[in-house]
Amino acid sequence: MLPRDIDGGEDAVLAGLLERIAGRDEAALKALYDRTAAKLLGLILRIQRDRSLAEDVLQDVFLRIWHAAGSYAPAAGAPLPWLCAIARNRAIDGVRRRSEVAMPSGEAGEAYWERLSAPGGGEDAILDRDALVACLSRLDPTQRDCVVLAYCEGWSREELAVRYGRPVNTVKTWLHRTLASLKSCLETGA
Amino acid sequence: MSGGRDDEGLRDLRAAEYVLGTLDAGERAAFELERTLDPATEAALRGWERRLSPLARAVPAVRPGPALWGRIAAALPSGGAGREGAPQHDARLAAAGESLRALTRQVRFWRRATAAAAGAAGLAAAGLALVLAGPLRPVPPPGGRSVAVVTSGGDLPALIVSVDAASGTVRVRPLAARAPAGRSLELWYIGAGAAPRPLGLVGTEPARLALPSEAGSAAGGTLAVSVEPPGGSPTGQPTGPVVYTGKLIPE
Repeated sequence: MLPRDIDGGEDAVLAGLLERIAGRDEAALKALYDRTAAKLLGLILRIQRDRSLAEDVLQDVFLRIWHAAGSYAPAAGAPLPWLCAIARNRAIDGVRRRSEVAMPSGEAGEAYWERLSAPGGGEDAILDRDALVACLSRLDPTQRDCVVLAYCEGWSREELAVRYGRPVNTVKTWLHRTLASLKSCLETGA
Repeated sequence: MSGGRDDEGLRDLRAAEYVLGTLDAGERAAFELERTLDPATEAALRGWERRLSPLARAVPAVRPGPALWGRIAAALPSGGAGREGAPQHDARLAAAGESLRALTRQVRFWRRATAAAAGAAGLAAAGLALVLAGPLRPVPPPGGRSVAVVTSGGDLPALIVSVDAASGTVRVRPLAARAPAGRSLELWYIGAGAAPRPLGLVGTEPARLALPSEAGSAAGGTLAVSVEPPGGSPTGQPTGPVVYTGKLIPE
């Protein structure tokens, strides 16, 4: 078990804002927006790939937060990941509902890999990050890139299949194997 | 349902791929239904959100345009009236607009986002198309019951609609559905290739509504919710924006 409360400062601020938002405090939503909107838009934009659509999703995400803040449970995890999950889910729902395959941005998995490994963040975030980086680094680079591009850029199995010139089913098998070994690595260090 | 080790493994991979984002639209919708029904699925999902969340820090932040907060504030109950330095809103207008702006904005977005995908059933073009791939339960109970979880794209379903073909009733349990001020939400049933049939108004309390007779076999039908004048559509067809849609699947 990793300690989660070493750097609880920002977490406590965000959790306090969510509590006020649950009490219908619009100023608290604005304060949350000021602290997190750029982070969330960054996540959405990488997946949605269209600036105007991405801002529409972000607007939707904050209205969602306005209505759902009361369902945030501090025991279930830190507030920022909870907010990021809402943003990513809405962005992915948007692109998966479109039938056309959008052109992925040209950024390679390595660029994300470098930023992921860069220093920064609170102590607890660093511990979680270091564990994930250690486990990702044991993976085959191609399969690691599949995970990173799917998570960070919203690549579908089909897009990954095109990029790596493999059948979609092969990509699905890759993802399943990769995710299973990632989980086993994170939970047992093996 | 007592899942064996294989079931657990597959459930965990569904949760992992949901968080990773690689499920297709139908699989995502099915998973969202599964997580609302099954606490073990929800727990698997939380586990994967936690494991992969450090990846989010690898994504650079992007500052939103200066107008975006104003758009969000305008959809809040005060209509942004309390905002410092905000343009003054007419108070009555702001109150009347309430969340209608949010809904129409949402619909406009989904119209754009789904424009290419929405070949199906005309109505889907305006709605938050949610295709539920099922069945999730191995043995259908007698009587042909169906359930639709209707979401507006977020974590919580907006409505849970269960259809009992044997008794010809539809039960509507509103969860997160909210009518814009001065408007009603109306529930519609759309059979394959047929025009929408009104089922009734969606209030704040669970309601039991009669199923149209032609919906004897509910599978393949679609339920939709539209924003209508108070009391419902005057024409018998949806007149306002369709804010939710969901397909019926065997339970």
